[in-house]
Amino acid sequence: MPIFSFIAYPENSMKDQLIKDLSLIQYCEVKPSDNKDVLILLTDTPDEETNKNLINKIKDLPSLQSLSMTFGHTD
Amino acid sequence: MERPENNADHKLDSQPNNKSEKKLGKILLFFVVIGVIALPIIIFQAFSVKTGEVMAKMNTDPVSDFDHNAKQLFKVYDRTTSAYMEGASTSRTLDYYYSLRQYPGSPPFLPHDLVDEKGVELVCLSCHERGGFARTMNKFTPVTPHPQYTYCGQCHLKEVTKTLFKVNEWVSVQTPILGRSALAGSPPPIAHQLQMRENCIACHVGPGTVVPIRVEHPMRGNCRQCHVPEQVKELFTRNPK
Amino acid sequence: MTITRRDFIRSMALKSAAVAAATMFPGISFAGWKPTDLPAGSIQWNKTPCRFCGTGCGLLVGVSGDRAVAVKGDPKCSVNKGLCCVKGYHSVQILYGKDRFKTAYVKKNGKMVPTPIEDALDLVAQKMKEFIKEKGKDAVAMYGSGQWSIPDGYVSSKLFKGCIGTNNLEANARLCMASAVTGCLTTFGLDEPMGCYEDIDNADVFVTWGNNMAEMHPVLFSRMLANRKSKTHVKIIDLTTRSTRSSQAADISFIFNPQSDLALANAICYEIINNGWVNEDFVSKHVSFHKGKTNIGYGIQDHFKFKDKAETVDFEALKTFLEDYTPELAEKISGVSAKNIKYLAALYGDPEKKVTSFWTMGMNQHTRGTWINNLVYNIHLLTGKISTPGNSPFSLTGQPSACGTVREVGTLTHKLPHGVVMKEGARKMAAKIWGVPETNIDPKPTYHTVEMFRALDRGDLTFMWIQVTNPMVTMPKLKRYRDGAKKDGRFIVVSEIYPTPTSDVADVILPSALWVEREGFFGNSERRTQHNAQLVPRPGETMCNTWQIIQVARRLGFEKQFPWSQETYIEDIWNEYIQFHDTPKHRMAPYKELTQRSGIQWPYVEGKETRWRYNGKYDPACRDDTFDFYGKPDHRAWIWLRPYEPAAESPDREYPFWLNTGRVLEHWHTGSMTRRIPILHKAVPESYVEINPKDAMSLGVVEGSKVKISSRRGSLIMKASINGRGNPPMGMVFVPFFDESLLINEVTLDAFCPISKQPDYKKCAVKLEKV
Repeated sequence: MPIFSFIAYPENSMKDQLIKDLSLIQYCEVKPSDNKDVLILLTDTPDEETNKNLINKIKDLPSLQSLSMTFGHTD
Repeated sequence: MERPENNADHKLDSQPNNKSEKKLGKILLFFVVIGVIALPIIIFQAFSVKTGEVMAKMNTDPVSDFDHNAKQLFKVYDRTTSAYMEGASTSRTLDYYYSLRQYPGSPPFLPHDLVDEKGVELVCLSCHERGGFARTMNKFTPVTPHPQYTYCGQCHLKEVTKTLFKVNEWVSVQTPILGRSALAGSPPPIAHQLQMRENCIACHVGPGTVVPIRVEHPMRGNCRQCHVPEQVKELFTRNPK
Repeated sequence: MTITRRDFIRSMALKSAAVAAATMFPGISFAGWKPTDLPAGSIQWNKTPCRFCGTGCGLLVGVSGDRAVAVKGDPKCSVNKGLCCVKGYHSVQILYGKDRFKTAYVKKNGKMVPTPIEDALDLVAQKMKEFIKEKGKDAVAMYGSGQWSIPDGYVSSKLFKGCIGTNNLEANARLCMASAVTGCLTTFGLDEPMGCYEDIDNADVFVTWGNNMAEMHPVLFSRMLANRKSKTHVKIIDLTTRSTRSSQAADISFIFNPQSDLALANAICYEIINNGWVNEDFVSKHVSFHKGKTNIGYGIQDHFKFKDKAETVDFEALKTFLEDYTPELAEKISGVSAKNIKYLAALYGDPEKKVTSFWTMGMNQHTRGTWINNLVYNIHLLTGKISTPGNSPFSLTGQPSACGTVREVGTLTHKLPHGVVMKEGARKMAAKIWGVPETNIDPKPTYHTVEMFRALDRGDLTFMWIQVTNPMVTMPKLKRYRDGAKKDGRFIVVSEIYPTPTSDVADVILPSALWVEREGFFGNSERRTQHNAQLVPRPGETMCNTWQIIQVARRLGFEKQFPWSQETYIEDIWNEYIQFHDTPKHRMAPYKELTQRSGIQWPYVEGKETRWRYNGKYDPACRDDTFDFYGKPDHRAWIWLRPYEPAAESPDREYPFWLNTGRVLEHWHTGSMTRRIPILHKAVPESYVEINPKDAMSLGVVEGSKVKISSRRGSLIMKASINGRGNPPMGMVFVPFFDESLLINEVTLDAFCPISKQPDYKKCAVKLEKV
């Protein structure tokens, strides 16, 4: 059960869009900051393969500028 | 301002002068005029950093450690204005950054034309040495960590076609993972090789940086006090004699 | 079960992200979600001084559940104002090395066998009794350290000096800052710097004497850089025998020949007098002149004895004495050009410039360590640049409580918590506070550290209890002292947290509780006392060092002197200890205030810290509002006439290189803690020998080549580093001492300063061979 957390940086003025985009993706949980232009993303997937696909999918979001990982767990 | 090593001159600070008041008035006026002319230049200077002159003194022998060139790097830090250091405006992302490179640490492609809209040829270092806002590109310029090398075309090429001669099966390595702090909030180790990239300030500070790798504490001048390189992967083991 | 575990990991993941975000974006908040509310994810931040060097940075240690998980700089601590170095940021990882001692071990048939700690303590007490009965009280000894918490040092002094009645108590600070102590005592009559770290924000010129602050005191170094960046005129002058990271950051770096700092300092004084830069008013009111013995030896032989004798002289005598140290003559000794010496003197001499001098091991680990301390004070005294903001001769310490525990508690053979054993008044005071007969305290000092290990080798003492230090890595001329400790009939007790070369020679290993696993106090370089509470539980059977000593003391029959309960013993000990210092010259802050604040400087008088001593504007112990050097009976600071004398061993044809040893930024001392921090070990995994590129070329050695370093005492083989972190001049090599697999002290010499008895780890002669 791979569990990862990230700080996600939206593209300029696309924070709301990014929250929306991420919320629609399965296995994602979002904790937006209410005073800074970043959000915390938690991914909790059943297996490595799903996790890999999920990350690729997230990385393709036009509203996302970058992700930086803060926590990773796999077993 | 500069004192070459082991060759100090002995003059202490200058003596006070005793000009008459009339002259003083003229001098003041002169300074006001100069000031008006110089102001825009000063402001421009404040938002850019000029490193080439200092870095040109870098020893260009390949070396194993940052400290070999550290004198120049400390000087760059000393001369970079706080306004520049605090500058954060940029649209560059890490994905874009790596899209210009074959593998982490390879010389990037040139992402823009080498002539401006009027057809004037651009000189790389006129922008990439000092950073600051480039009107031709309408964005803040990333600064090269090695302005002492002036023949840029030796390593940095322009991509003119997307097609290949033959497909190549080479694959790159994983790009360094950010946020690899050992503890929550502790300073991460240096994720890349240091050769030709010893100058932390160039890429991690200022308005031209890639946002996720910009440091939030640019005013601290001794980066290696907290950020250390990773020389080996193994942990310590004892082998008592 | 799975669901619980998954929830736990999820909450850890969210918490990590929240902590990282909070670090990057101070003040960040998340609507409707508070990371600290998470049951498994809350981090409690608590203040503590850093475990490592003598800078004394304030840390906030983040505790989650029962584990320390994160560190940040304490913004309320005036020392570091929220900044740490890489060691500090990762310091909590020292608690969790896999090979941590969590139980006691006793040697049985040549093997270390896990033993309940109460049994091990019984054995320690029983052995002490046996040795005292058989061979007398001077057969047992305690060897501690500047990493001892203040209560550790205090109870060992009380047990050994007060109860058992032997002066066999030393600490590794003897190897670290004994010359700074004797320097302060001979010049000012009282120990410890007069200034404070605020000098760094006020000085115009910094002169670092043989001191690589960028690596050894990085937080103070950054503060210096910040001062220089904020003003245009601030200069950092680096005086060094080898080019270091600090040299790179300095405005100018002058490389001098080893030992010639004595000549340099005298030449600076010569120039100051010759150019009329003497602060005549200050000198006539606050300074007196003295000279001591010369040609004083190096202590290489067993039983070496030396006692200095002060003779009062006058300013004229100083002038005559300094005629041997014109810049031109000093150039011949030091290799620094006369022009540069004059430049340096002009900086010190300029009445408009505030000058701070910093030093640590370069001046202290020196066979004339006391002298060079005196000489740098001379420069500041002649110019009156002392005890005012920015004007400061400042010796920094290398261990977190070298000042607090060793210098203030006095865990050295000749010392008591107040005064020295030789003085009747000091013995009376100690006997009264300790509740022991005055006759218990022996008026004769026994062994200083080097001589103590020699005595162990000879068999004059047979029992040694070592706490919080690693002498089987740090003793110079190591082989003799290791062989001595292993001899039959010796009994070595080691209180440790991890296996080290010292625990390898132990008969009993007592597992210690460490740093934030117990309550305690440190005292940093600027007279700041810092309290830490216990923040996490003690693992296994580990026990606080203070409590170990109390347990043994009670088994020896001293229940009356060690009556405290485990709940309040640290507070009770503090309250007893500060009675020793209850005058305006040294009053310590009360326990409660120390628990609340990020360190308090002594003298702490009527709720006020003393920033600058000996200056009536700041120091309540002065007679009036001007300078008063009240440590000396004449209320003056003493200028000493101290000549240049050569090192104990210099390069010759057979051994043509100087060997210099020291530290690196990433590792702290013998590396027993920092090497178990993954990021630090990965950055600097092993020791190496720095060689000048030209010497390397003539030896046929390149980066990474194996080189054999040999001296008259031993040899070892290690990798060469060329153009690496430091660059020694031709004819010198440098080796860091942190690596227990590459013990450079097999090679070093046990010569010491006859006054301070501190060994010189910076100078001996070696040869190099390519392997």
